[in-house]
Amino acid sequence: MKIYVCVKHVPDSAATITVVDAKAIDTGITFLVNPYDEHALTEAAMIAGQTDGAEVIAVCVGPPSAANTLRSALAMGSDRGILVSTEGETAGLPDSMATARALAAVITADGQPDLILTGKEGIDTEGMQTMFRLAQQLDMPAATNVTALELAGDHVLATCEKEPGTREVLQLTRPCVLAAGKGLNTPKYPTFPDIVKARKKTINTITWEQLDMVPAAGGIEIEHLEPADEARRPKALEGDAASVAAELVRILREEAKVL
Amino acid sequence: MSKQYDAIIIGAGIIGAPIAYELTRMGYKTLSVDKLADAGEGSTAGSCAIVRAHYSTEDGVAMAYEGFKYWLDWENYLDHVEDEKGLAKYMNTGSLLIKSQGHKWRDVQKHYDAVGVQYEEWDNDKILKEIPVLDLHEFWPVKRPEDPTFFDEPSKMLEGGIFCPEGGYVNDPTLSTHNVMRAAEAKGAEFQFNAEVAKIRSADGKVQGITLTDGTEIDAPVVVNCAGPHSFKINQLAEGVWEGCNIKTKALRHEVMYCPAPEGYDYLNDGYHQSDGDIGCYVRPEVGNLYLIGSEDPDCDPQEWVDPDEFYAGKGGHGRDNQLTDEQWKAQCYRLGRRVPTLQVPNQPNGVVDLYDCSDDWIPVYDKSDLGGFYMAIGTSGNQYKNAPVVGRMMAELIDACEKGLDHDAEPFQYKMKYTGRMVDVGFYSRRREINYNSSFSVNG
Ligand SMILES: Cc1cc2nc3c(=O)[nH]c(=O)nc-3n(C[C@H](O)[C@H](O)[C@H](O)COP(=O)(O)OP(=O)(O)OC[C@H]3O[C@@H](n4cnc5c(N)ncnc54)[C@H](O)[C@@H]3O)c2cc1C
Repeated sequence: MKIYVCVKHVPDSAATITVVDAKAIDTGITFLVNPYDEHALTEAAMIAGQTDGAEVIAVCVGPPSAANTLRSALAMGSDRGILVSTEGETAGLPDSMATARALAAVITADGQPDLILTGKEGIDTEGMQTMFRLAQQLDMPAATNVTALELAGDHVLATCEKEPGTREVLQLTRPCVLAAGKGLNTPKYPTFPDIVKARKKTINTITWEQLDMVPAAGGIEIEHLEPADEARRPKALEGDAASVAAELVRILREEAKVL
Repeated sequence: MSKQYDAIIIGAGIIGAPIAYELTRMGYKTLSVDKLADAGEGSTAGSCAIVRAHYSTEDGVAMAYEGFKYWLDWENYLDHVEDEKGLAKYMNTGSLLIKSQGHKWRDVQKHYDAVGVQYEEWDNDKILKEIPVLDLHEFWPVKRPEDPTFFDEPSKMLEGGIFCPEGGYVNDPTLSTHNVMRAAEAKGAEFQFNAEVAKIRSADGKVQGITLTDGTEIDAPVVVNCAGPHSFKINQLAEGVWEGCNIKTKALRHEVMYCPAPEGYDYLNDGYHQSDGDIGCYVRPEVGNLYLIGSEDPDCDPQEWVDPDEFYAGKGGHGRDNQLTDEQWKAQCYRLGRRVPTLQVPNQPNGVVDLYDCSDDWIPVYDKSDLGGFYMAIGTSGNQYKNAPVVGRMMAELIDACEKGLDHDAEPFQYKMKYTGRMVDVGFYSRRREINYNSSFSVNG
């Protein structure tokens, strides 16, 4: 059984993002495994742990420095990694169409997937497209925001969270593409012995040019990038405790509409 | 028209606030000014607030032991003042110093004996009984994970540790400073925030007062520099003060990490503060069952001396600004991961970055200056939080003695500690001293 986990190399959500030349962000910050992909990695390692002869392969499309991110994936239990290096011609982030094609090509060239896991979205671009495009490329069914999954014969039962408060259980034929949501599990982070083991695992680097794929007919390019204004406007409530509490409840109910 | 005080304290951090408190108790009309919005929001806010007795000098041990008594008796120290934010809590976890090549622990033990610090010697079996998650192999020397030998298999074992039942940390360093401010105010001290000192005025070799960036002039015959990582900038504003210091201060960047404790181990309630020179880390429990991991600044780590204004503004770039770096996250967590092999290290760095106000020999400068009426409590070098209440009293008495005519440079002031009754030769902290080579030249002081 081969489980492929697609891992994205994304900026740390706590980093200060600076835009350069209105096109890209300054990359001199911490990059790491996309947080949703951590759930996919944890799930893959768990399934593999229960299945004889299972192999987990982490795949990443990204710059050479994304090898670090793959190393983290290996420390979280993947057996080996494949990096599709976007250095040179393809530097900059390929869009979801190109990324999905690259992932499909590299997975097909590597082996026969039984299951492909991804995160439900990349926290950098929040596109939510790549996993569906990948499934389409490979002619597989797909489900997103998976919060529970169960292998049942040649099917998978996937519980997917829809709007907050509703859940649907889907039966998908295998192989399929499943995108992990936060509720799937608690990520299992590596211990020092895991990190030592991961150092000995292999990461195979493939260049974009080496991929056997038909380029997409269309594409998306960033025209203009600018920082979003997230200025917070704090407001102090004055008065005695009772009136402050009453006002707070009113704000939560009428303005924030969370009560 | 300028306002008139007996003493102005620049900086309302954990060093400045107790000085204001004690001077006020001695009858001085004090004003504390701080450019931030509230007390304890400078580097004190980033402090690990660990209270432990081990220092490389006997005076260092004595001072820390004295400080410990204040934290134990916090409400009394504050004269039972009410703080609307509540009181900071001292958490007495006990403190384990691992015997290692990274610490001069034999000296520490000698100083403990001299000062009367309570301690027990623990062998490896006893340590493992108390802290079952540890691997007590020796990993020395401290290395970085970029160095392939970092991952070498250890062969030797450590030789135990020294455990002090008295030791721990304060749960909220900012709140503790706020508490002292409220206690000082209750005695008549004043605090002014969002007030940045731009000038220090003097005439005829005597300080006259300060001028704020908005042009406000405030006069006082005594001005005390407690500006933390900005201390060197304040000294440079005062005539002849910077030049008169043989020991200088500068701002050193320091990253502290929070990593979840291993599953099934209640570090928050069962864990100890631990100083581990063998891996160059110190740790203590943090809310959320986290390990707080500080670095003892091993030689292999880069030292980033930064401009405090640039740093706090988030400028200077990777490794120089106020953001954690992935390299240091891995260095500190993997080092601890060797000692605690079941520790899970998340991919995303979590922690705080702040500045040490470091002196040339990592020992503070608690002194007068070459400008009459100008004093300094600076160079706290990442390890004086625990001593702050002692420093408050000592500085207040030093200032009072000098203002009454003592020539402290010629005849150093002797301070009698309130709880342990020991005498401190305040000349030990002189700005004019030669570099003290007995120092560990690290956060261990
Ligand atoms: C990350 C870290 C961990 C630490 N861990 C420990 C520990 O575990 N145990 C321990 O004992 N010690 C520890 N320390 C050391 C201890 O916290 C510091 O020594 C102490 O907090 C310094 O207090 P301070 O009042 O001198 O500085 P600060 O808290 O920085 O206060 C100085 C104040 O001066 C103000 N100021 C500066 N310039 C001006 C100006 N021009 N005008 C007006 N105001 C100005 C600032 O706004 C600031 O509020 C640690 C320090 C750090 C940074």
